[in-house]
Amino acid sequence: MNNKWYLGTGAQSDVIISTRIRFARNIKEFPFPSKLGVPERIRVNNILEKAILDCKEYDFKFIEMKTMSQLQAVSLAERHLVSPEFASSGDGRALIITEDESVSIMLCEEDHIRLQVMKAGLSLEEAYKEADEIDNAISKRLNYAFDDRIGFLTQYPTNLGTGMRASVMLHLPALSSLKQIQKLIETVSKLGLSIGGSYGEFTHAKGDLYQLSNQITLGISEKVAIENLKSIALQIAAQERAAREEVCKLKETEDKVFRAYGILKYARLLGVDEFMQCISLVRLGAVRNILNTDEALIGKLMVDMQPATISISVERPLDDKDRDELRAKLVRESLK
Amino acid sequence: MICENCKRNEANIHMKRIINASATEVHLCGDCAKALGYGGAFSSFGLGLGDLFGNFLSHTPTFSNTTAVRCSMCGNSFRDIAESGRFGCAECYETFYDKVLPSIERIHGQTKHVGKRANKENKDTHYITDTEDLKQQLDKAVEEQNYELAAELRDKIKEKVNKKDGEEKTDE
Ligand SMILES: [Zn+2]
Ligand SMILES: [Zn+2]
Repeated sequence: MNNKWYLGTGAQSDVIISTRIRFARNIKEFPFPSKLGVPERIRVNNILEKAILDCKEYDFKFIEMKTMSQLQAVSLAERHLVSPEFASSGDGRALIITEDESVSIMLCEEDHIRLQVMKAGLSLEEAYKEADEIDNAISKRLNYAFDDRIGFLTQYPTNLGTGMRASVMLHLPALSSLKQIQKLIETVSKLGLSIGGSYGEFTHAKGDLYQLSNQITLGISEKVAIENLKSIALQIAAQERAAREEVCKLKETEDKVFRAYGILKYARLLGVDEFMQCISLVRLGAVRNILNTDEALIGKLMVDMQPATISISVERPLDDKDRDELRAKLVRESLK
Repeated sequence: MICENCKRNEANIHMKRIINASATEVHLCGDCAKALGYGGAFSSFGLGLGDLFGNFLSHTPTFSNTTAVRCSMCGNSFRDIAESGRFGCAECYETFYDKVLPSIERIHGQTKHVGKRANKENKDTHYITDTEDLKQQLDKAVEEQNYELAAELRDKIKEKVNKKDGEEKTDE
């Protein structure tokens, strides 16, 4: 796993970790997946597979989700390659993915096709351009369900129109330590955007990672939706930087950063929650030059140390304690 | 089922979350979902807004004959869509267009698509979906030794392929 997209860093990466564009598409000839039985979904997937793999300019690989273990499927969700819903059951579902995992296409999730492109840092225009090109290539080979009045037709009416969700993952340790997140949630929702913990947490987001995305898909073009998202993301990034400036004046912050580093470097059992809490502080320390730790390594650990992902990295089955022990060992060794 | 967050309201939003190496279902009420910023961000795409969409049923007077209309492709009635908050197929939108438009407007504040348009004037397009589908039906018919149906399907496929070749030639 040395060539994955998330090992790179991009623009604004001190705050904006990654960018994602998703399109929801359906084909006209078949009912939406929830109306299809498993054998019918497999048939639809085979049709989609042929059409999409026919786009030879991409090195797509087709995987039937049934052939994966539960842990492998959940690991894909931890890496944001598939939705938690998609990982929850492999019945009649398939995934098309590129080697570097920057492009993934869920087949028969809520819609027939969920195309996703990910990039490091803030890279909305580039990610959109790539998603758009793939979408065009696919649309030459399939009949998309589309209505001139209300756009791309999707199972849920919340995705009608462009069928596009653009989002950025933000690292907001300072704003969350200043208890500004609730206010942020309220503000962005008035602007037609939404923000939530990137692992779907109720209250405090693990690792202070938040996903900001557009909510409205009808009556707004892709271009305008992306511009809106970008401008709000940049404003939040500026707020976060100002908040970091504030909190980093405090000796307590420096202390917390070093303590977190100490835990990561010396712990013998490291649960995922504690790990995420510490790595978030270490990331803050690294981008503020309090610590001399490589940002790319931190990004890699944030992905690789998730419970399912860590479990599939070894051959033998792990219980919770084994996993925490292995996590502690891997983190310790990588921080040498 | 009670909302996991406020532990007070009825939970009508159900979604999967990854918790400690497994996909677990969580249950929230509409208010909490909104307050917690549960939008399109982490749920796979927007919420399957059962509440937002579902309650338009109560805003719509029920005519005795409306229940009889069903989507010709998937068999959904308007009530099926309203109760589940989701459509069964592309045809559902056409069938119930006027009835669902007000709730679409409530969700998006708009009713007119202004973005990218699907590529319509494609010749290749019809080929894969139609004939592949027919070929699969054909395989199945042969497997089930339903030779009458198989012959019928074979003719249909031939017809489509010929038609496609014809279209390509007239293009040149
Ligand atoms: Zn609640
Ligand atoms: Zn239908």
